[in-house]
Amino acid sequence: MTDLALELRGLTKNFGALKATDNVSLEVRRGEIHALIGPNGAGKTTLIGQIFGNLAPDSGAVFLNGVNVTNASVSERAHLGIGRSFQISNVLMDFSVLENAIIAEISHSGAQFRFFTPAFSDPKLVEGGMVILRRVGMEDMANRKVADLAHGERRLLELALALALRPSLVLLDEPMAGASPEDTIFMTDVIAGFQEQTSILLIEHDMDVVFKLAGRISVLVEGAVIASGSPVEISQNPKVREAYLGSEE
Amino acid sequence: MLLDTLKKFPTLWVILACFAVFPVFTSVYDLPFWNDVMMRIMLLGMAAMGLNLVLGFGGMISFGHAAFIGIGAYCAGIGQYYGLDNGWVQILLAVAVCGGLGVIIGFLALRTSGIYFIMITLAFAQMLYFFFVGLEQFGGDDGMIMDRSEFVVIDLYEPLRLYYLIFAVLTVVCIILALFIRSRFGVILQAIKSNESRVEAMGLAPLHFKITAYVISAMICGVSGVLFASWQEFVSPDIMHWTRSGELMIIIILGGLTYLAGPLLGAVAFLLLEEFLPEILHAVFPSIAENWMVVFGPILIAVVLFGQGGLMGVVSRRFAGIMKRSRT
Repeated sequence: MTDLALELRGLTKNFGALKATDNVSLEVRRGEIHALIGPNGAGKTTLIGQIFGNLAPDSGAVFLNGVNVTNASVSERAHLGIGRSFQISNVLMDFSVLENAIIAEISHSGAQFRFFTPAFSDPKLVEGGMVILRRVGMEDMANRKVADLAHGERRLLELALALALRPSLVLLDEPMAGASPEDTIFMTDVIAGFQEQTSILLIEHDMDVVFKLAGRISVLVEGAVIASGSPVEISQNPKVREAYLGSEE
Repeated sequence: MLLDTLKKFPTLWVILACFAVFPVFTSVYDLPFWNDVMMRIMLLGMAAMGLNLVLGFGGMISFGHAAFIGIGAYCAGIGQYYGLDNGWVQILLAVAVCGGLGVIIGFLALRTSGIYFIMITLAFAQMLYFFFVGLEQFGGDDGMIMDRSEFVVIDLYEPLRLYYLIFAVLTVVCIILALFIRSRFGVILQAIKSNESRVEAMGLAPLHFKITAYVISAMICGVSGVLFASWQEFVSPDIMHWTRSGELMIIIILGGLTYLAGPLLGAVAFLLLEEFLPEILHAVFPSIAENWMVVFGPILIAVVLFGQGGLMGVVSRRFAGIMKRSRT
């Protein structure tokens, strides 16, 4: 095993003449929270798509724990160790909280094609589902319908689902988007608590959150990584200041 | 455990119980014709339940499932032509052929979704339809007359035997589907309908589950087709005309597509309306009796708009209301 949870090597993706991802190389070390920031239109979504497997890069490679996963499908990558929370809350709305967790647990258990025993009353699956919920402190809400949850609670459930397969890397795509200030404080603590279990690639616009959580930060501008380093280095980097604040001339 | 699952679908067992005692009613009042109508209801209901695994529980709008009924019917017809009279073997043959075709069509069609999926499934169904129209050796457009299949132990020329054979097969299909939709496979299928990208991110490959559901539903329609052939004693491409696929969808929507029993209730309602509506109209407005669909259309729209979940939606809300009142 390498000490890198995720390694991107020269990822490039063009949409016609637009270089959405321009030779991006990036490393997320084991156990670190690595933040990826950049202004709107910097190509973050395209990059996430390639890491997660929704989009195929034109060139370059994605390594997960030292294994080349560039040609693996989304569901294969999930079993190889990437969990994901989406920019817009993405949970199973028609189900209860526990049912969401149980479906994740079915995937975790590996026995998906069973046709005759009921799933939601299977004691093993219920137990596994509760373990998934306990990790984010949602066990009290197990029987509530997802449709009735508050926004912050849905985000929390999504975090639980992202962690369900015990991933070595979790991709958090703007976990604070649309969250209230209280939710943000709470979620920040929850995410900080995950650091012992998994590496995290955090995409976030809220700079307070980024600087509080991240061990290292990479800055993406126009599809390319212009800087990578500790929060202090990044905040003092002139190229980053220019990209975010505009040139002083 | 089986009982536990069965208890979850009370309406389904009530409907099946009605089917079971219906011949008693028809013999007391000497209405043998109605056994025939009821067999048709059970056969189309079975096929619609098969389709609903894909449509209602999987969220895939397949517009070509009549093709699988037709394949099943031709498995019986062509099988008999070559001396294969045993109905059980014909059923096995239909399951195998529909399963195989289901894998191929599903594999190709399920790469698309939405309107493209609807059109591709329809296109495959039309291809199969015209394949049988062109099959002159087996009657082509005119179809082929056949005898009822021989089901060992059960001699179908005893009038009620076919009725109870269809009933028994329908019951087995109901039990299998009841188990399926509550199983791991079933809940994942419904989760895919709810949110495919989330299911994928959980490490489950949606395509595998969708194809499996498609194949199972094709097989059920195939079984219905074999029995359909015995019931009609005749097979023609008409059985798989695209309007029949539409009929199955109307049955499902009328009955309620999120309920296991929905298609069965829908089949009862649809086919009874098909029998009665022209007669009623003939008495009231003779001029439009031929076009009973003119009246049926608005009924369907009303059920969809106000029924919220079709007839089963209405039934289950009533039932929930009664349960609540009895508790307080």
